[in-house]
Amino acid sequence: MNLELALPPWTACLSALRLDRWMMGELEPADADTVRAHVTTCAGCSTALAGMRGVREEMRSLPLPPALRSRQVSWTPRAVWGTAGLALAAGLLLVMRPAVPTERSKGAGGIPELAMYVQHGDEVRRAAPGEEVAPGDAVRFAVSTPVAAYVAVLSLDPTGRAFVYFPDGEQAAPMPAGTEVALPLGTRLDATRGEERLLGLFCAAPVALEPVRLQLESSAGTAPLPEGCQGVRWSFVKR
Amino acid sequence: MILDAAGIAALYRSHGHVVLRRARGLLGSEADAQEVLQEIFTALVKAPDAVRSVGSMVGWLYQATTHHCLNHLRRARTSARVLQLHVGPVTPSAGGPRGEAASEVRRLLALLPDDVATAVVYHHLDGMSHAEVAELLGCSRRQVGYLLERAQGLWNRAEQSA
Repeated sequence: MNLELALPPWTACLSALRLDRWMMGELEPADADTVRAHVTTCAGCSTALAGMRGVREEMRSLPLPPALRSRQVSWTPRAVWGTAGLALAAGLLLVMRPAVPTERSKGAGGIPELAMYVQHGDEVRRAAPGEEVAPGDAVRFAVSTPVAAYVAVLSLDPTGRAFVYFPDGEQAAPMPAGTEVALPLGTRLDATRGEERLLGLFCAAPVALEPVRLQLESSAGTAPLPEGCQGVRWSFVKR
Repeated sequence: MILDAAGIAALYRSHGHVVLRRARGLLGSEADAQEVLQEIFTALVKAPDAVRSVGSMVGWLYQATTHHCLNHLRRARTSARVLQLHVGPVTPSAGGPRGEAASEVRRLLALLPDDVATAVVYHHLDGMSHAEVAELLGCSRRQVGYLLERAQGLWNRAEQSA
């Protein structure tokens, strides 16, 4: 018998590694888009993905191993958010550094990162690109930037409407260099269902956000970055 | 990436499913898969530098899971327990000829040289292309082809002698 026939078959056409990397936000944006487009039309891959997500859900209900639990009690969050649930998310923000790929325009420097944390009921989790969330979930962003930068987080919702999550102003907001710095604004997701595309902007100089928002709308989320900016793009799905 | 203990706990929450799912597939035993899951993250608490320079956390977890599972199969091979657990079907879907063959493959994996067994797992169980296997193993695609051919040869020989 062939070895392939003897082993439990992997029935998806994309490998488990590729699907896992996509779920965990490790693929380059273009590659991530390719995988997203593929899994929506491929029965084998969407079934495999559903199985993978099922195990991820299962893991959330498992208790931490004792070796990890005992050490957690000695850890004190350095930041506190407005509500108890989001305070827990702030704790997570201090310890995770997601590997989200970035794109750069001319004049940009360093490698910034963008993270999103979701509170669903009493549970807070770090979202990965492509993650499914629910209307009413609370979300909050955190950024890592090796140098001080002007930062903004924009979004294109499933209806094609672009808006600015952060900051609550007309220009990108100055942020100091730092790792996993929680942005001071959280938001609750509305009832619009479908894929929402995010753009994290990290700029060397103040940038007016309205032109970026309009370009995002007119380009269906693929707007070029303003000069001197780096961008982190990914998406989540509201179901 | 530098992880403190709380970071490792967060990593367990966010990425532990990658380990658990693959360990189940490789070992065919829920208890053993849970054991491997705990082993990997407990080892990371003791040696957090293991992930200091990794480019892909998912890739690192694939390598760690495969390494721990193969060790598990090798340890189990020396005891009667492995016969109890793996000779019969391991899950309802693994019953019948394929389930028995999968048990044989697990026994073969325990006997194979580490690089050959790892290539078999990545290619056949995880559906990776030769290029993906080569990336994780840090070798050429040609070497992956050679490792898989060698595995098939050893499998054929094991079947003939059975």
